[in-house]
Amino acid sequence: MFYEILQVRMDWQWALIVVLVHLAQGNEGNSVDPTPDLYEPSWVYKCEPEEGCQRSEHPQPTNSSAANSSFMVFESLDVCRTVCGPFGGLWPRPVTAVLSTQTLKMHPNLLRFALTNAPVETREMLVEMTHVITSNLFAECNGNITEMVETPVMVYISVKSPSLELTWDTDEQYLLDVQNEVDNIVVHISAETVYGARHALESFTQLIAPDRPEFSNQHQCGLRIVTGAKIRDKPVYKHRGLVLDTSRNFIPMEDIKRTIDGMAATKMNVFHWHVTDSQSFPLESRRVPQFTKYGAYSANEIYSTEEVRELIRYARIRGIRVVIEIDSPAHAGNGWQWGKEYGFGDLAVCVNARSWRHLCIEPPCGQLNPANPAMYRVLRDLYRDIAELVPQPALFHVGGDEVYLGCWNSSEEIVSYMKNKGFDTDTEGFIRLWAEFHSKALQIWDEETMAVGGQQQPVLIWSSELTQPERIQNYLDKKRYIIEVWEPLSSPLLTQLLRMGYKTISIPKDIWYLDHGFWGKTKYSNWRRMYGHVLPRDPNVLGGEVAMWSEYVDAQALDTRVWPRAAAVGERLWSDPRSGFAAAEPRLQRLRARLRARGLRPDVVSPEWCAQHDARCY
Amino acid sequence: MSSRSKRMIDAVIKYVVSDSQNMAAVSNSNRDDCVRCYEPMVDDSIRKGGFSDDSPVEKNITQHPYPVCRLNHLDFDCDNHFCPWKVAQGGEMKWCGEAVGRGSPAYFARVARLRRALLLLAAAACTAAALLYWRQQSDDRATRPLHNLYTDVEPEWTWVCRNERCERLPAAEMSSLQSLPTCNMLCASTQLWPQPTGPVSLATAAVPVRASAFNLHVVASPSRHVSEHLEDAFSLFREDLRALEKNMISDKHSDIGPAHEVVVRISVNGSSDVRMLIDTDESYKLSLRPKRNTLVADITAHSFCGARHGLETLSQLIWLDPYAGSLLALEAATVEDAPRFRYRGLLLDTARNYFPVGEIVRTIDAMAACKLNTFHWHISDSQSFPLRLNSAPQLAQHGAYGPGAVYTTEEVRAIVRRARLRGIRVLIEVDAPAHVGRAWSWGPQAGLGQLAYCVEVEPWSAYCGEPPCGQLNPRNPHVYELLERIYAEIIQLTGVDDIFHLGGDEVSERCWSQYFNDTDPMDLWLDFTRRAMRALERANGGKAPEMTLLWSSRLTRSPYLERLDMKKFGIQVWGASRWPESRAVLDAGFRSVISHVDVWYLDCGFGSWRDSSDGHCGPYRSWQQIYEHRPWVDESVGGMGPVGDGWRVEGGEACQWSEQLAAGGLDARVWPRTAALAERLWSDRAEGAAADVYLRLDTQRARLLARGVRAAPLWPRWCTHNPHACL
Repeated sequence: MFYEILQVRMDWQWALIVVLVHLAQGNEGNSVDPTPDLYEPSWVYKCEPEEGCQRSEHPQPTNSSAANSSFMVFESLDVCRTVCGPFGGLWPRPVTAVLSTQTLKMHPNLLRFALTNAPVETREMLVEMTHVITSNLFAECNGNITEMVETPVMVYISVKSPSLELTWDTDEQYLLDVQNEVDNIVVHISAETVYGARHALESFTQLIAPDRPEFSNQHQCGLRIVTGAKIRDKPVYKHRGLVLDTSRNFIPMEDIKRTIDGMAATKMNVFHWHVTDSQSFPLESRRVPQFTKYGAYSANEIYSTEEVRELIRYARIRGIRVVIEIDSPAHAGNGWQWGKEYGFGDLAVCVNARSWRHLCIEPPCGQLNPANPAMYRVLRDLYRDIAELVPQPALFHVGGDEVYLGCWNSSEEIVSYMKNKGFDTDTEGFIRLWAEFHSKALQIWDEETMAVGGQQQPVLIWSSELTQPERIQNYLDKKRYIIEVWEPLSSPLLTQLLRMGYKTISIPKDIWYLDHGFWGKTKYSNWRRMYGHVLPRDPNVLGGEVAMWSEYVDAQALDTRVWPRAAAVGERLWSDPRSGFAAAEPRLQRLRARLRARGLRPDVVSPEWCAQHDARCY
Repeated sequence: MSSRSKRMIDAVIKYVVSDSQNMAAVSNSNRDDCVRCYEPMVDDSIRKGGFSDDSPVEKNITQHPYPVCRLNHLDFDCDNHFCPWKVAQGGEMKWCGEAVGRGSPAYFARVARLRRALLLLAAAACTAAALLYWRQQSDDRATRPLHNLYTDVEPEWTWVCRNERCERLPAAEMSSLQSLPTCNMLCASTQLWPQPTGPVSLATAAVPVRASAFNLHVVASPSRHVSEHLEDAFSLFREDLRALEKNMISDKHSDIGPAHEVVVRISVNGSSDVRMLIDTDESYKLSLRPKRNTLVADITAHSFCGARHGLETLSQLIWLDPYAGSLLALEAATVEDAPRFRYRGLLLDTARNYFPVGEIVRTIDAMAACKLNTFHWHISDSQSFPLRLNSAPQLAQHGAYGPGAVYTTEEVRAIVRRARLRGIRVLIEVDAPAHVGRAWSWGPQAGLGQLAYCVEVEPWSAYCGEPPCGQLNPRNPHVYELLERIYAEIIQLTGVDDIFHLGGDEVSERCWSQYFNDTDPMDLWLDFTRRAMRALERANGGKAPEMTLLWSSRLTRSPYLERLDMKKFGIQVWGASRWPESRAVLDAGFRSVISHVDVWYLDCGFGSWRDSSDGHCGPYRSWQQIYEHRPWVDESVGGMGPVGDGWRVEGGEACQWSEQLAAGGLDARVWPRTAALAERLWSDRAEGAAADVYLRLDTQRARLLARGVRAAPLWPRWCTHNPHACL
C-alpha cells in the first residue's frame, strides 16, 4: 500500500521554483558586473578518520588532485557529520550502526511509505508518524528545498504488534536498513511496535542532512541521504523523561509542544508534566473549575481539557507518554483556597501565608488539609478528570515531596484531627498523617481509574522523608509506588531503596536539574557533566529524568535552558555509552543543528570554530 | 457582551469619570496624596529579598548623596492642575480621573466586607444543598454537584493599592477591576528604571492615550541635525508605544472614552553634536501635565542624547492596561535626572559565535530602554573575524565562519544609526595583538610576509588561553599599515572618534619568544602598543582619541603601567574585584572602566566547554549581585578597599563573551541582569537589591518583553502578582 504524501506541498514547491528561476533570470539580465565577490569566505569540510570534520580552504578548481579526494570533502558541515565517524550524525547513539560514506540527493516529496506489513490497527498512527518525519525533513531546509531530485526513497515499515499501548513494557527496539538499489533507495524498518517504528523513522531522518555551506547566504538547499545503513537499536532504560514545571511560571502550549519535539528527536519517552504547584493551578478541571478560577494566573494561562488531550495525542505520535503530576499534599495552594467560600472548609492550609520561611520551602506556601473530608472529594473529582483524559494504562504522579510538618502543625483543625485519630503530634505522627493522605489518594486514584475502565497501575512519587529506608516499608507498598529519587548524588537513598526492592526513577538534583546554577548555591551542570553521570545498572532502575523547574524560566528562556543539555541525558538513558563526551560532541553539534532546524532554540556548546574543527577544542 | 468585559469597562470608566458617590471620601483622604514623592531611604534597615537559599541580610543604609525627590520641591499646592482631586471637584474636566491610589481602599474594603458576608451566606446555603445532593448521588460520581455550583467561571484578579503595596484579590470580591500594571503605576513605587537621580513627582491618576495621538514639537534645537535626530528618535519612541499596543485586545479600547492627545515638546539647549561623546551632558528634565483635553510633555536637555533619555523616561510613564484594553499615561509628572557615570556599557562578543544583525539591534534597543550608552562590540577574536571591511576585505574572507556570517559595512552603518538614535555609541574593538587568528593568515600569499604567528598552532594550551591561538607579528610594518586602515574605517563607520578600544589582553609571551628570542616579549608588547597607538592617531586625522582603552593585563601592571601615557590610555579593568590591579590602575591616576570578571561577566557559571576544565569562570552572577557591586565606594563588598582620592572611574561594563552563547540564547542571558548594571551605573543608589528594586526591575522586564526582548523572569509569576510577598 503506497500513498502520496504532501501532494499539495509539492505543487507549492514547483510554483516556488518557477518564481526562483524567474528571479535568477531577472538578475542575469540586470547585473552589470558579473565578477563574483572575490573576498567571500568559502570553506569545505574534510572528514578525517581520527579527527572528524575539519574546516579547510576551498580547493582551487585548478588543483585536480583535490577533486580526486573529493568524496570525503563536503561543502556542508552537516553532510560531513552525517557520514563521518562510526555513528555519523545519529543522536542518541544506536547500539550498532554501519553507515556508508556515500550520499545521494533526496527529496521528501519522493518519499514513499509502504505499510502493508503493519497491522491495520497501527496504520493510522504510522501515517501520522510519517507526516512528522516528512515535515522534519522539510525543516532541514527551512521548508524550502530548491534541489530537483529524481531518486525515489521507498520505506517499507513492518510492525508486529497491533497494540498502540505505550508503557514501560512497550518494546521500542527496531531495525533500520537502507540500501541503494538501481534507481532508488530502499529502506526497511522492522519493529515490534509502532513506537519502535517511530524511533526507526527518527533515526532515518538523522541519516539525511541539508547540503549547503555553513552560514550560507544563498537560498539553495537540497537534502542528501546516506546510501547505505544498517542500524540495530534498542534502549537501555525504559523510562527516559523530562520534567517540565508549568506552575511557577506558565509555559504556553506551543512551547510545550516544541519541547516534545526536542524529546522526540532524542528518543526520550516520558513527558513528566509538573503542571501544578502552590504558585498556580493552570490545568482545567471540568468538574472543579474553581482550580483554575482561583489558581490560574489569568484566563489566558490555562491548559484546557481539549488542549491537554491534543498534547497527549501529539506526544504519542512522537513516542512520548504524558505523565501528569498533581503535586500533593505539599506544593498545593493557589487553586485550593476557595473551600471556605463554598462552605467546604479549608481544602488547604497555610495558603499564601505571610511568614513563609517557617511553613514552606519557597513562597507561596500551601499544603492540602488531610483533616477535611471535602478535600478528598475535590481531589477525587480532579483525579476523575485526569483519568478520563489520559490513555489507559495510565501512569500518574502523585507528587509527595517537601511536606512541611510545621505547616500542618500550625492548623488547629489538623492537630485535633490527629488527636482524634490517636496520632501523636510529633514527627512520626505527622508522617503517619502524610502516609494516610497518600494511601487515601491512591485509593481514590485506583477507584477513578477503574471507573473509566482502566486497570490498577503503580504510581510515581517523589522521594522524601516518607521514603527514608527506616520508614518507607511501613507506609508505601513497593508494588504500588515507584520512587522518583531526586536526592543528590552523594545520598545513599537510591541504593538503599534498590536493595529493599523498590522500583526507582533516578533524577540526581545536583546533576540533572536544569535550573541549578542560577540561584542560591546550586551549581550549573553543562551537557558534559550531565552526560557523564551513569545510572546504576539494576533492573529496578527504570530510568531517569532531567528536570526543568520554572522559578527562573518561562517561555522566554525555556529552550536554551533545556537544550541541548536534556539531549545529553537522553543519550545516557537510551544507549548509556561507555565512551565519554569527546566522542559524543560532534554528534551533539549535529543534533543541535537539527533541533534548530525543527524550530527550537538550543544553546551552543562551544565557539563555532570548535564546531567547524572537531576534536580541536580539547 | 459577557459580564466580565462589562466589569472591565466599569473599571476603566473609573479612571475617566469619577464616581460621584465616593468622590467626597476620595477627595478628602487624597488631598495629600495627589502627587507621590520619593525620598531616599535614610538610615532605614532594608531587608534583602530572595528565596530560602539567600539568607536574609540586614544592612544599614547610609544617606544617599543624590536625593531622589523632595516633596516640597514642587511647592506643591492643590490649586494647581497637578492635583486630580481639585480638578475633579471642579466637575467640568472629566478627563482628569479619580485617583485610584490611596484614597480608595477604605471604600473598597467596606464593599468587600459586605460582599463577602453575602457570599458566605450564599455559599453556606449552597453547601447544604450540595451536601444533601451529594448523599443522594453518591453512586454517580460523574455528576456530582460540585462543578454545577460554579460553571463558566474564569479566573480574574484585581489589584488594590493598600499600604503602598498592590494586593491581589479575586475579582469577585470587588465591584470593579484594576489591572496589575495600573495598580503598580499608581501605587507607591516609581516603576522607573533606572531610578532618576533628581527629584521625581508622579500623579496618582491616569488617562487613556494611544500611540498615534503623540505629536512632537521641537521647541528649541541647536541645529537642524539635532532636530532631525529628535524626529527620528521620536518615531522610535512611538514604535515602542505601538509595540505595547500590539498586545491590546482590539474590541475594547473604544469603550473607555477618548484617548488624550499628547504633545511632546522638546528643547535642546547645548551641543549641536548628536553623538554620544565622552563629555556629552546626558541630563534632562521632564514634565508632564494635563492641559484641557491633551497632555503636554516638556523635555528639556543639553544634548540630543539627554532629550532622548527624557523620551525614554516618558515612555515608562505609559503602560498597557490589559483590562482597559488601552494605553494609559500618568496625567502628571516631573522628573529631573542625570547619570552618575558617563560610561555605561555592554560588551557583546560576536567572534566566538556569530550573532545576526537583528539580535544586535534588539540588544541596542534593550540597552536604550535602560539608558546604557556604550555598545562595546568585541567584533573579532582568534576564532573568527566577521567584519567585512572595505579597506581589508581579506580579513573576513579568511576569518568569517561562512559567507552569511559577516557584517557588511552597510549592516554596521545601520546598527550605528539605530544606536545613535538610541543615545548609544558603538565602540568596535578589533582585539590585538593577541586574540587574532586565521583572518590574518593571508600575508605570505599577498606578499606581506607573516602578519600573525602561532595561528591555530598545536598544542594550543602552550600558546594561548583557549583554542585556537594566534598573535600578530609585532615586527611586520604591514601589520601597522593594516591596523591603521582598520582603525580608520571603524572610526568612519561608527563616527566615534573620542573613545577607541585597542584590545590588548592575554598576550602569550611564549608565542612571540619563539620567533623573537632577542627581545623581551614585554618590550615587544609595549612597542606594539605604541605603534598601534600611532596607527590609531594617523587613522584619526593625526590626533589621539580622548581616551583609548586597553584591557587590563600584565602590561597595565607595574613596572609597565608607568610606561603608558595616562593622558591617552584608559584601562578596562577585568580582573577579579579582589585583585590589587583595580586599585593600582586607579591609584596611578588612569581612567578606568570597570568590568570585574567575578561580578560583571555575564558568561560565567556555565562550566567548561573544553576538556581541560581550568580557565572557565564562575559562578553565575545573579542580577542582585550585579546590582550590589559598588567597587568605587568604601565597602568591603567591592574588595577594592578604601576609596582613593582622585580616582577616575569612568563607569562600568557588563561583558557577554560568547564561547557558550549564540543567537537565540542571547536575550535571556543578558537581560534583565544588564538592566541591573544599568541602574547601578546610572543611579548608583546606596541601597542594595531592596524590595522596591525588585518591583521596578520586574516592571522593566515586562517593558523589555513588550519590545520583543526575551528577558528571563526574576521569579515565579506569583511573586509578580503579589508584590512584596516573595521578599
